[in-house]
Amino acid sequence: MNRAHSKTKRTAFVVAAGLAAVTALAACSSSSGNGGGGGDSGPVTISYGVWDDTQGKVMQQIADKFHESNPNITVKVQITPWDQYWTKLKTAATGGAAPDVFWMNESNFATYASGGVLANLSDKLKGSDIDMSNYIDIQTKAYTFDGKVYGIPKDIDSIGLWYNKALFKAAGVAEPTADWTWADMVAAAKKLTDPSKGQYGIVAQSAPQQSYYSTIPQTGGQVISDDKKSSGYDTPEAIKGVQVWVDLVNKDKVSPSLQQMTDTDADTWFTSGKAAMIFEGSWAAAEFKEIPYAAQNANVAPMPKLDQPGGVSNGLGNVMSAKSAHPDAAWKFLQYLGSKEAETAQADAGIVIPAYKGTADGWVKAFPEFNLQVFVDALKNSSQYPSSMNSAAWQDPIELEFNKAWSGDETAAQAAANSAKIMNDALAAEK
Amino acid sequence: MSDRVPATSAVGPKRSHTAIHVVLIVGSVLMVLPFFWEVSTSLKTYAESISVPPTIFPSSPVWKNYTDVFATLPFGAQFLNTVIMTVARTVGQVFFCAAAGYAFARLEFPGRNAIFIAFLSVLMVPSQLFLLSQFQLMQRFGLLNTVTALALPGIFSAFGTFLLRQFFLQLPAELDAAARLDGCNPFQVWWKVMLPLAKNGMLALGILTAIWSWNDLLWPLVVNNDPEKMTLSAGLSTLQGQFLTNYPVLMAGSFLASIPMIVLFVMFQKNMLEGIASSGIKG
Repeated sequence: MNRAHSKTKRTAFVVAAGLAAVTALAACSSSSGNGGGGGDSGPVTISYGVWDDTQGKVMQQIADKFHESNPNITVKVQITPWDQYWTKLKTAATGGAAPDVFWMNESNFATYASGGVLANLSDKLKGSDIDMSNYIDIQTKAYTFDGKVYGIPKDIDSIGLWYNKALFKAAGVAEPTADWTWADMVAAAKKLTDPSKGQYGIVAQSAPQQSYYSTIPQTGGQVISDDKKSSGYDTPEAIKGVQVWVDLVNKDKVSPSLQQMTDTDADTWFTSGKAAMIFEGSWAAAEFKEIPYAAQNANVAPMPKLDQPGGVSNGLGNVMSAKSAHPDAAWKFLQYLGSKEAETAQADAGIVIPAYKGTADGWVKAFPEFNLQVFVDALKNSSQYPSSMNSAAWQDPIELEFNKAWSGDETAAQAAANSAKIMNDALAAEK
Repeated sequence: MSDRVPATSAVGPKRSHTAIHVVLIVGSVLMVLPFFWEVSTSLKTYAESISVPPTIFPSSPVWKNYTDVFATLPFGAQFLNTVIMTVARTVGQVFFCAAAGYAFARLEFPGRNAIFIAFLSVLMVPSQLFLLSQFQLMQRFGLLNTVTALALPGIFSAFGTFLLRQFFLQLPAELDAAARLDGCNPFQVWWKVMLPLAKNGMLALGILTAIWSWNDLLWPLVVNNDPEKMTLSAGLSTLQGQFLTNYPVLMAGSFLASIPMIVLFVMFQKNMLEGIASSGIKG
C-alpha cells in the first residue's frame, strides 16, 4: 500500500509536472515579443493592423520600403480578417494594446476618435511633411473629428456601371455611354432580359453604396444631413432614389429578385453572364480580373444619370493608437504612409485608388482590360459616405428595412419612412 | 400456412436491412460531401473554384495550391502552436475538471453548493463575454502574443467540471466508503478508485476539448498578432480578403489542418464512440 501510495503520488506529480512543462515550453518558444521600451532611440518594432490579405502583402512591401530609409524602425503588418478585425480592435483598444498604426473605415471612425483610441494628429501635422490639402477633400473631411485630424486618408472608391460587352452585342444593344440617363439604362435592361435563358438586364443589388447611396445624391436628396443630426430618408427626393431600384426588381422585372440574389450573390450573376449590368465598386476590378469570363467580357461606364450627377465614396484612413508605446516611430511611419510615394505605390500595385490627389494613374493602367478612368472621373461628383458618431446603430437595421422594399413587402416610401425613424432615433441617442 | 410464416419473417428483416442501408448511405454521402468538396476545390484554379455552374472535379489538378499554403503561412510553426495549445488544454481540462468535479460530487465542505451554483452560472453566459477580461489578464501577465496565452485560459472549464461531477455522482458511494475503510485518504480514493471508473467521462471531455481547441478561432486571433504565434485556424482565416479570397489555397490549407484530427479519429475511433456515447452528449 505504501509503495502504491508513493507511486500514486508520483504519477500525480508527473501529470502536474507535464502540464507545467508544456506551459513552460510554450513560454520558451514565445519569448522575443515586441521588446524595447518607450524610448525610440534604439531599434523598435511597430505593428500595422490591416484586414485584407490581398492588400496586406502590398502594405508589407510599403513598410519594407520605409524600413530601408528608417533602419531603426521595423514594421510588422498584422492581418486580421474583416469578420474579426473590429472585435479584436475593440478588445485590444480597451486594454490599450491596439496596434501602433492601423486601418480605419469611415463608419467606425467617429466611434474610435471620440473614444480616445486614436491619436490626435492636429499638433503633429504642424511642421510635418503632411499637407492635408493633398488628399481628396471628402477623405480629409471624413477623418477629421470635432475639427481635429485623427487619420491620414489612405484610399477612396467610387461606383460605376459594369456591363457585359458580349451580352450587349448578342442582344444588338448599344453599349452604355457617359451620356446615358436612367431611362436609357432601363430601356436597355428590358431588351437584355430574356426569361427563357434565365438572363436579366441588370442585377439590382440592395447593398447601400451600390444602390440608394448612389442614387439619392442624384435626385438631390441626402441620406444624412450635413450636421449629422437628422435623416433625409423621408424626403421625396430620397424616396425617388430608392424607388428607381425597387422598380427594376418588382415593376420592370429586369433584375433577379432579392431571394435570387441571396441564393447567388449579385457579383456572380454578373460574372457568370446571367445579368448584363451591375452597379459595382472600383474595388471589384481586382475580382473581375481574376475571372476569365469577366476579364474578357466586362467593362465599365459611368453611372447613368437621374436628375444630377452624384454618388458617394468610401475610403480607408491610416490612424495611430493614442496609447502606442512608440509614438515617434508610429508617427514617422504614418507620415510615410501618407506620402506621395507610398500612396502611389498602392495604385501601381493595382489594389486601390489612392486618396492622394493625382496618383491614380498606376491603378488605371494596372487593369488595361477595363476602362477604370471612369471611377477616377466619378470622384469629382462624389460626396462623403454617410456616417455618424455611432453609425453601426443605424446602418445594418436600415439595410434590413430596405430589403423589405426590395422583396415587395413594403413600398419604397414605407421603408424610407421607417428608415428615417430608425436613423433619427439612433442619432438622438448619440448625444 | 405453416410455410408462409417463415417466408414473411424472412422478407421482413431483409427489407428493413435495405432501408437501413439506404439511410446509412445517404447519411454517409452527406457527411463526406463537404470533405470531398474541400479537396476538390483545393485542386482547382481560382477561376474554376467560383465558376457557375460549379465543376465537380477539377479540370486539371492544381497541386501548386498546396505549396502556396506553405509559401504564405508559417505552417510548421502554426501547426506546432496548435498542437501545444490542444495538448495543454486537453490535459489541463481533464486533470483539473476531474479534480474539481470529484470535489463537488463527493467531498463535504462549507459553501459547496453555493460555489457550484456560481460555476454553473458561468455556463449560462456566452463565452464572448469573457474575451475582454481574459485578454486583459493575459496583458497584465505580460503574455500577449505568446503561445502560453493561447492555452492558459482554456486549461480549465466550468463545463468540464459539471460534466465530470455528474459522472462521479453516478458512481456508487459505497466504493468511496470501502476505499476509506481500506485506509485510503481522499486523494487516494480519487486517484486510485474513482478516476479509473470515470475513464469514459474523462475520455469524452478530452475528445470534446481537443476538437474544440483545434478549431478555436476567436481567442487565438485576438490574443496573438504574429503569424508565428498563431494557430492554424487563425492563420488560415487571415487568407480571407475583404473582397477577394483565394478559395483553393484556403481549402488546401484547411484540408491539411484537418488531417491530424482525422488521423486521431481513425486511431481512437472505438474509444471516441464509447466515450461520447456514455457521456450522452455530442460535440
